[in-house]
Parts: sequence; C-alpha cells; structure tokens
Amino acid sequence: MKTIKIFFVLIMMASMILTACGAPATEPPAEEPAAEEPAAEEPAAEEPAEGEVVTLAYWSMWNEPETIAQVIQGWIDEFEAQNPNIKIEPVWNGRENQTKARTALAGGTVIDIVDQDADQIAGGMMTEGLGYPLNEFLDQKALDEDVPIKDVFYPGLLEVFEQDGNIYLWPYMNSVVMWWYNKDIFEEAGVTPPETWEQFIENGEKIRDAGYGVMAVEGDVFDYNMFIYAYYLARVKGKGFLLSAITDETGETWKDPAIIEAMAEMQGLWDKGLIPPESEGYVWPAGQTTLALGETAMEMCGAWLPNELAETAGPDFNWGGFRFPAVAGGVGDIDDLQSWLLAAMIMKDSKHPAEAFEFLKFMMTKESQSQMAEVALQGVTRVGVEWPEQIADGAAAAASAKDGLLHVDGGTAFYAEFTTTVLNQPFLDAFYKRITPEEFGNTMAEKAAEYWAGQ
Amino acid sequence: MKVRKRMIFLFLLPASTLYLVFFLFPAVWAFYFSVFDWSGFGESKIFIGLGNYLELMNDDLFWTSFSNTLKILFLGGFITLAVAFFMTVLFSTNIRGKKFFRAMIFMPNVVATIALTTLWAFIYNPKFGLLTNFFAALGFEELSKVLWTAGDRVFYAMLIALIWIQVGFMVVLLLAGADKIPFEFYEAAKIEGANAWQMFLRITIPLMWDVITVAVVFWSIWALKVFEFPYAFFGITPPTQIYTVGIYMYIMGFGKRDPIYRLGYATAIGVLLLLVVIVVIVFLRRVMRREVYEY
Repeated sequence: MKTIKIFFVLIMMASMILTACGAPATEPPAEEPAAEEPAAEEPAAEEPAEGEVVTLAYWSMWNEPETIAQVIQGWIDEFEAQNPNIKIEPVWNGRENQTKARTALAGGTVIDIVDQDADQIAGGMMTEGLGYPLNEFLDQKALDEDVPIKDVFYPGLLEVFEQDGNIYLWPYMNSVVMWWYNKDIFEEAGVTPPETWEQFIENGEKIRDAGYGVMAVEGDVFDYNMFIYAYYLARVKGKGFLLSAITDETGETWKDPAIIEAMAEMQGLWDKGLIPPESEGYVWPAGQTTLALGETAMEMCGAWLPNELAETAGPDFNWGGFRFPAVAGGVGDIDDLQSWLLAAMIMKDSKHPAEAFEFLKFMMTKESQSQMAEVALQGVTRVGVEWPEQIADGAAAAASAKDGLLHVDGGTAFYAEFTTTVLNQPFLDAFYKRITPEEFGNTMAEKAAEYWAGQ
Repeated sequence: MKVRKRMIFLFLLPASTLYLVFFLFPAVWAFYFSVFDWSGFGESKIFIGLGNYLELMNDDLFWTSFSNTLKILFLGGFITLAVAFFMTVLFSTNIRGKKFFRAMIFMPNVVATIALTTLWAFIYNPKFGLLTNFFAALGFEELSKVLWTAGDRVFYAMLIALIWIQVGFMVVLLLAGADKIPFEFYEAAKIEGANAWQMFLRITIPLMWDVITVAVVFWSIWALKVFEFPYAFFGITPPTQIYTVGIYMYIMGFGKRDPIYRLGYATAIGVLLLLVVIVVIVFLRRVMRREVYEY
C-alpha cells in the first residue's frame, strides 16, 4: 500500500512538472519560423548616453592560447585603444562555441558578437533567426580606405550566405578549397597545374609513372572526398545542381546522368592508380601525412592544410595550389571557388549593433587582416592583403573568383541532417567503389524520397 | 523507535536530495524536452507528443547505431570477460612479475582517450602500421595488405581496441575477487583429484559470482554509453559504421561539424538509452542473482 502511495505521489509530481513546464506547448504550433521573427520584433538596439562606455560580449570559437585567438585579442586591444567608449569582453569557448552560446542564450545571456565556421553558424544561429541583418551598415566607408566596406571583400564572399536579401555573416578568414600540391614533385614529373580535367588526369598519370602517389586521400572522411565530387559536379552542371538534388523531394535528380558520371569519374581515379589503394584504410591524418612526407603529390583541401602539415613537411617544402580544373562541355566556371570561411555575426538581441559593427569594420582593415595572414599564417577575406607564402596561390584564386561555392553546394549549411544521415554513407560507399555509380544514384533517389516523405 | 526512524530519514536526506536534483529531476525534464520538435535555440518549441520516438522507430541510422551498441555490449562483453578471466587465472598462479603485468594491462585505463586513438590509428595504418609490419615480417603478404579500418571492418577494428582498453579494468576487478578465495579450497580439491578446469568451475566461479555480477553490470553500463573512443578514433568525422547511440545522439543534438540542431530528437534518443540501460541492468541483476557463499 505504502509503495502504491509513493508511486502515486511521484506520478502527481511528474504531472505537475509537466503541466507547469508545458505552458509553451500551448502556444500556436503554427507560429512563424524563428528565422522570420526579427522583422516583426521591436529592435533591441539602444543608443548609448553621452560618454557611456558600451561593453560588447564577443563569444569566440577559438581557444585562448591559439595563435588566431591571440591575433583577435590584439585587434580587440587596438580597437579599444582607438575607441575608448567601447569595451569588448571576449569569451574563448573553443569549437563548441555555438552550442555553448545556445545554452547561454536560453539562460538569458546577452551576446553581441559570435564567431564560428560560416557553414555552422549559417545552419545554426543564422537559420534560427538570431542574426542581426548588416545591410544598413554595408555602405559605410571602410576605416582605412575611401570605399564602401562591402567592397573590400574578395568577390562573392560577403554574399555567399545571403538569406532573403539580408547579409548576416562577416567573413574574416578565408580557407580556399583547392588542390594543394608539392611543386618539386610536379617539376620532377614534368607537369604544370592543369586547367582541364583531361590535363589533370594526364598529369596524374605522369606523376604516377614517376613513382609517386598522386592524390592523398583519407579513409572515410566525407568532407574531404566530397570536395572533389562536388567540385566536379559544379564544373559540369554549375553551382546549385547538387543542392537541387538534395532538395528534390522525389529523389529523381539523383538518377541524373551527371550525378552518375561524376561518380564514375571519381571511381576512375582509383582505376587509373591516381589514388593509392591503401588510402581507404587511412585514419586521418594518415593520408595527408603522405603529402607532407613527399610520397604523394597533392590533396584537395582547404588552405589550412599547409599550415597543418608545416611541422611534418618542414620549412623547405615547396607548396603550390591550383583551382579545380574545368570539365569539357561543362557549364561551371573554373573561376568559381569554394571557400571555407570563418565568420562573425552580430546577434539580433545585441543592444549595441552599431558599436559591434564598428569592431567588424576594424577586423577588415588592411592592418588587421595582414596580422591574421602574417602571424596566424591564414588566408584572409580582404582584397589587397598579402597571404603567407605557402598559400599565396590561394590569394590569386580568390582574386579571380567570380562566384563563391559552398560546401556540398550549401547542403552542409542548410540541409545538414540530409547530408549527414542520408548522403554520407552512400557517397562514401560509392567513392570507395563498394557500390557502382548507378547503385549510388538509385540508393540516393530512394533514400532521399524516403527522407523528404518523413519531413 | 520514532526518533530512530527520523534519524534514518535525516541521514538519507542529503543523498536522496542530490539524487533527486541531479538525476531524477533532469530525467523527467529530459522526457519533457523529448516530446517537442525543438532546435534548442530560443523558445520556439513545437509539441509533437511521441513524434520523436515514432521517428526513431523508422530511422535507419538510429538502428545502425543501436545495433553497433548491442554488438559492443554482447560480443565485446563476451570477449572482454573471457580474456579477463583467462588472465585472472594466469595471474592467480604464482607467476613472476604479477604486479608488473597487472599494472601494464591496466595502463590503457589511465591514458587519455585521444592518445589511445592515436596509438590504434598507428597500429592499423596500412602503410607503416604495427599490424602491417608484423604480418609482413612473418611473411603473411596477404594479411599485411588488409585494410583493417576500411568499410565494415572499421567497426571490428574499433571493437578490438575497446576490448583492449577494458580488459585491464576487468582483470583488476576479477583478481580482487579471486584473491579472496582461500588457497586451502584449491588444495583440498586437488587432494580429491579435481583438475584445473573443475576447480575453476566448482570453486572460482561460484565464490566469485558477486564480483562477476558487478563486472558484467559495469561493462554493460560502459558499453551502452560508449562515446569518446569511437568518436575520436576517426579524427574529423566518424563514419556511420562506427556510430553508437551516444555518438548519434551527440551528432543530432549538438551541431558538431555539421550544424544539426535537433535537441528534442537527441533528447528522445537519450531517454531511450536510459530506458535500455535500466532494462538491461534489471535483467542482468535478476538473471545473475545467486545464493552468496560465505567463507
């Protein structure tokens, strides 16, 4: 009897908790998506009183001891010295920044600026409607040049994550995704960076015949292998085609000949001996280490690669980079370039967006960007700033870019669940020749239709 | 008597309060979140009842993760305990350097997971790894070319590493039980003509049953929530072949690498995992219940 009573009391307590906490559930379920809320809300911005010191909370994805964090801290110190009425309090959260910010925001913490990989922030806080649209500020003059601030960026970078005509993300670091290669091996094999896919294959065969592995590939790393496939598809069918397959609720686009042929080309790289057969068994970073050790000639990756391999490769490693080549008969432009961007975003609930934007402008001065390039050895987003020597070819590619490409054609940023739970495994199975290109197309068509039917 | 009861209540109060605040309340709270479609950002939760649970039933990747977790629980558990028992028997004899071997085998439990993943990545490296060189040195050319971490083999490669890590802990646990058994029991059995296997079955196992039960329960709890090693093993993103329920929950709820923010769904996975842990532990406790021998 006593046990029954205790059980009853526990049930009552649980019911009370659920009822009390259930209040939000009674809100209309059909409310507008969060992304569209800001327009309907009162602006959070406040005008600071004369002489008032404004404090901005800046939550960063970097860890304090990292060189990039030190560069940003240097920007903050210099900015505060130049703007005594603005104080910036950085919070160095590391890579879990957005997740930590999510919890903090739920607890009522006000954050003015966040930074993160642009893909992640676009698919997270930006899509959730937590960003402050920057459009009203974009015609302001740059701090060190008589041009609108929006014009100091490399082409396409500021607009690549545009949503409903609004710009939310402020890219400050630019890891262009291209082939990073060992110039010495290219020279020894008598080849130069190719402009077309045919030349790329010919070059690869010459490198292979010279006794080197051609392409460094990791085992089962979706992102790196997808760089190659998505670029190939973008060169054949243009930007947006892969995304159209991802968003096709019938799944039929996955059976398009271009999807199948692009995968056949990927498998051809193994058949031609351009990817060392043991690569499938590599656990990252084993594949890229072969590039650093001079065993393979190139790898498709972001501009962080030479930096990441600096210690293993040594100071004498002769780095070069070239764009993904054009494909004969394809509609995509060789100048279209994928950039893995690091971006800052002003939060919708910031009470001082104007002051926060002053800091964003400061991030984009030539001096600030040069510090990022020289001290942290990173690619930058401002035109006219010299990049570190080992990734200098990335600057040339960024300068000639006509349009920006997104990772998985935007799939990672805006359809992350699809790319992770639907596309990931069939893609890897096909890339490593565990299934045929046709099976890849059919599997994807089936799984995509199933996924969208469940949404 | 009444005063005594009050005292018992007072003494139990701190621990009960902590348990209530840090376990029961979050568990109820987690169930509450699991009935919403919610990214975790802001208050825009949509009540969907058991929608997340129904979705889980048709989620192939969840079932892959669940099946991997069960393989670790049963297959991994069987091998781990078998190896641990074998080693316990070895260490129970008067082998020289017993303490040294015991310390060595326990070592993986005090080394950071990330270091262990690096070690195993080296062991399996198809170009210069330990296994590759070992088999090549023995002249097994075919075996030296096996890609241990490719395709579906990656799960078993990971499982071997997990077993290697946990065997040491289990050996230490079982040895503590084995050391308690008076040596005279074995001497008497020998005089009666029992062989080693009979002594193991009739003396060691029955007298260590309580310790074995604890070892099985420890393994089960650990196996059901295993996360760090498989997640770190593949560096950038783990392939779906090594997803466990813990990894899948993390990927769906915390936007790591790919920005998936389905906190309601991830919480439903967590609630299911909790239920599975409870069911498995209750089942094991019942199945393994035996009369305790006092000696």
